[in-house]
Amino acid sequence: MSEIFASPYFGVALSIVTFGIGVKLHQKLKMQVCNPLIIAIVLTSAVLLIFGIPYDAYNVGGEVINMFLAPATACLAVAVYSKIDILKAYWLPVLVGCAAGSAASMGSVYGLCRMFGLDESLTVSLVPKSVTTPIAVSISSPAGGVVPVTVVAVIFTGILGGIFAPLLIRIFKVSDPVAAGLAIGASSHAVGTSRAIELGEIEGAMSGLAIGVCGIITVLFSMFVL
Amino acid sequence: MKIIKQTGIIFTVCWLSLLIEKALPFAFPASVIGMVLLLLCLVTGLLKIEHIQEKADFLLGNMAFFFVPAGVGIINYFDVLKNYAIQLVIICVVSTVITFAVTAWSVKFTVRLLERVTKRAGRGISERESLQGKNAEEGRKEDE
Repeated sequence: MSEIFASPYFGVALSIVTFGIGVKLHQKLKMQVCNPLIIAIVLTSAVLLIFGIPYDAYNVGGEVINMFLAPATACLAVAVYSKIDILKAYWLPVLVGCAAGSAASMGSVYGLCRMFGLDESLTVSLVPKSVTTPIAVSISSPAGGVVPVTVVAVIFTGILGGIFAPLLIRIFKVSDPVAAGLAIGASSHAVGTSRAIELGEIEGAMSGLAIGVCGIITVLFSMFVL
Repeated sequence: MKIIKQTGIIFTVCWLSLLIEKALPFAFPASVIGMVLLLLCLVTGLLKIEHIQEKADFLLGNMAFFFVPAGVGIINYFDVLKNYAIQLVIICVVSTVITFAVTAWSVKFTVRLLERVTKRAGRGISERESLQGKNAEEGRKEDE
């Protein structure tokens, strides 16, 4: 029976259908919690568990989709390049903000993991959780992290940022849109950025820029730490 | 054909970044090398944005989808989630707030510092100019 599901077509088709449902629900409900990726993961997992389909069979198709991760990461360069003029104008605040934010994120996660007594592999899975998923995975996976835990933590962090960004701006009295945008991008990557775009043009651009810059800086930091 | 060409360009960049990853003496993720490589190609004009625009829009626009299989892998780690759910939530919430505050403050600090430096530099120039003016005047007086 599982040979039928071990065809790559099954995994790819199931992923597309569940993600499609996720996108539709997200558009209908307009809630940050209804992240299309979370919905797709929950629905796909439910289908596998209910019908007793082994993960390895599904993942034959999964591997096909995974092949696009590296090219998609490379294309973050296009997102940075489209904002190159803003980067040139604000290069110092962007670099300082992203470096400080990346260090704060990695440091605080590491400290909290130690405090809760989490083991090495879980800690490594969580440390890069504030950067965009492809970069977080490429940091956590070679260092011995659990990739699915990283993915879930990254998305959860993004959703948190998306929901609470306006509240955080008020609590910390961030009046400068450059600072607000960079803070959103540094703390909650692409999911936060979609909210930053709603707050304003400068906020959106800065947040988008922070995704790529924080990603590279976090990789550099992790080379020395992990 | 356009999309095939663009796919070819991006996949070539990814393959080259694998080669670079192997050649580097330290561990650096190939996907991030690919990103830096592509950015360098664009900045230097080796590649024009039109050469990859549609394919890049497709990959960036559907970025979340490519993580469905990686995320579904969580079904093999349900016990981890169950045992550490509260800790994981606290870690994510606290570190997100800290990251937000530190980034916002350091940007505010840098912008203020920059403003002060440019102001001082501006004042420096005007002081120098007025000094030069005085010197010139004094020189003229001496000439007289």
